Amino acid sequence: METFLNILISGILLGGIYSLVSIGLNLIFGVVRIINFAQGEFVMLAMYATYFCTTYLGINPYLALFVVAPLMFVFGLAVQRTVLQPLQNEPMMQIFATFGLLILFENSMLALTRGEARSLSGSYSSVLIDVFGLKVSGVRLVVFIVVSGIALALMLFLQRTMPGKAIRAVIQDRQAARLMGVNVERTYLLTFGLGSALAGVAGALLAPIYTLSPYIGGNFILAAFAVVVLGGLGSVPGAYLGGLIVGLIESFSGYYVDPALKQAIWFIVFVAALIVRPSGLMGQVGAEEVGLREQT
Amino acid sequence: MTRNGISRLAIAAFAVAASASLAWGQAEPLRIGAINPYSGPLALYGDEVSRGYQLAIDEANAKGGVLGRKIELLRGDASSPPQGIATVEKMASQDKVEVFVGTYISAVSNAASDSALRYSKVYWDTNALAGDLTERGLPNFVRSGPYADSFAEVSVAAAKDVLAPALNKDIKTLTIWIEHEDSIFGTSIAELQKKLIEKLGGKVVGMGAHNFRAIDLTDSILRAKAAAPDLWMETGYVPDGSLLLRTMRDQGFQPPAIMMVATGDTFETLDALGKEYLEGIAVVGYPRPDQTEAYGPGAAAYLAAYKEKYNRDPIAPQSMTAYAGMQMLLEAIKAAGSTNMNELRAAAAKMDKPLKSYATGFGVKFDPKFQNTRAFPTLVQWQSGKVVTVYPKDAAQPDVKLVNVPRK
Repeated sequence: METFLNILISGILLGGIYSLVSIGLNLIFGVVRIINFAQGEFVMLAMYATYFCTTYLGINPYLALFVVAPLMFVFGLAVQRTVLQPLQNEPMMQIFATFGLLILFENSMLALTRGEARSLSGSYSSVLIDVFGLKVSGVRLVVFIVVSGIALALMLFLQRTMPGKAIRAVIQDRQAARLMGVNVERTYLLTFGLGSALAGVAGALLAPIYTLSPYIGGNFILAAFAVVVLGGLGSVPGAYLGGLIVGLIESFSGYYVDPALKQAIWFIVFVAALIVRPSGLMGQVGAEEVGLREQT
Repeated sequence: MTRNGISRLAIAAFAVAASASLAWGQAEPLRIGAINPYSGPLALYGDEVSRGYQLAIDEANAKGGVLGRKIELLRGDASSPPQGIATVEKMASQDKVEVFVGTYISAVSNAASDSALRYSKVYWDTNALAGDLTERGLPNFVRSGPYADSFAEVSVAAAKDVLAPALNKDIKTLTIWIEHEDSIFGTSIAELQKKLIEKLGGKVVGMGAHNFRAIDLTDSILRAKAAAPDLWMETGYVPDGSLLLRTMRDQGFQPPAIMMVATGDTFETLDALGKEYLEGIAVVGYPRPDQTEAYGPGAAAYLAAYKEKYNRDPIAPQSMTAYAGMQMLLEAIKAAGSTNMNELRAAAAKMDKPLKSYATGFGVKFDPKFQNTRAFPTLVQWQSGKVVTVYPKDAAQPDVKLVNVPRK
């Protein structure tokens, strides 16, 4: 029983990590309708920025979050404005552009760090917290709590505030939103900035958990795509739940079936869900068809 | 000064200059191409390996080079097999490289050596581990360093001779869990480990495969924990190794002995886990400069030369293996009297030096597939944040003792 509980908690916490990385991606995917291949690299850049803050400025990583996230927001604005907005009538090119950014960021960090893997100093990663009698990794618990809070805050933002409603309108139909007076370009900027800031939060919270390398972004991105599509385009609760589902499947299948097969198993579930419900679990039915079709 | 005097002085100066350049300039420098990743995620190790080459070359040049020619090392960047092929082609045709050395990445070595064959150049591999490199039987390939099987052999021998006695057991009563990353690198070593352990009558209570890029390895650790082994042996790379150790700590999985194979002995792991947790963890890795002079003659001198030239401690032990491998190559060239592919290989085949001839403790004796049968990794242990050689017994410094086995 204890093992089962252990796996369950481990799955939930892993799900939290996936959700955290995917929420930003989902927002961008849903609104700007581009697959941001570089999202994993945004997380990686944020991790290194956090490392810089903790190692050279002596700031606690959880405080560095408040420096890194706004920086990433601005960074996201810059990327959207300079790279993606000029290409907004060429969705295919936008995808290539984000892929190009992926390669650019990875190799820039590689050149800067000369390939040396780094870890945050301090003993954050070894803190264990008692949950129902089980010892749980403190850093992962923090990730889960924060992503739950973010998901809630984002939902409120999207439902209750004007910019949030504008974002939802653009998710549903870009053309109609424009006709209703929504400034679509400004919404894109805001969304990309927000998605990038969320990647910043992810980077700051994940930095104590993993060994940093310029290629770590790629480790997250595959699962993040699966989470986004499983959860539903543009749906924040979808990304949150999708992440938890993927995390739980991975955790249980890794232990009870075979660790070597766990990725294959959640991929199968993901494909099955797509066949049954292509818009994802909580996405707007029909939104997925809008997908990459050219929109004016 | 008189006009005559000036012209005499000029002639004298010219003569001095000419004779100085004649000493080297008469013969073309001997160009050796080093194929390694110098960009990309493994650039760190490509650089490190080349530092080993350069130190061996500096030593040889100080003694007059080889065959009366100065040796020059050219770097050929290759982080992928196609890049390896292109780099070799350029170096062999345009840069007049006569011999190739390498290579931190086995897949690159495979493609690059094939390419070198088309130019009839010897590919002298000092560091790549994959078994198939020598299994292929290419007529230009030679491997001077250890390979995957050597790591597996030393890990099992160390389990039997060092860790089992420390736990008051012998190999037949020691329970072992074999964890490995799931590509050919980890799988080939793990399979050989299992075979060797079972041949000795040992008990493998389970094997686990994981992806080295995995985000979470809790399942692998929980499975191993359920089997409750005496010894947990893991073969993999740095990111997965660190994540596994951290997860072990979080999950409270505390096997009496932990051995990592091939990675886990550098500052990257120290940074990730901290010296308290690492205390007592054993690693099978490339030989280190702290070996005794009797086991590895010249090891201390190598370390001193490295520090002097590069102003830091070696980043990874691969450089000393590269250094020894380059020394062997230069000896072979000298014995062959040329860098001609067939002659050089024939000279290599005749080389016969016992173990403990080089700073790494290697000897040299190539088998019919040109794998050096006298090249082995050693077992080191983390002690107070430093990596200390503990096995073979005569490689360890006399005051070295095993620490923290069983783990507290």
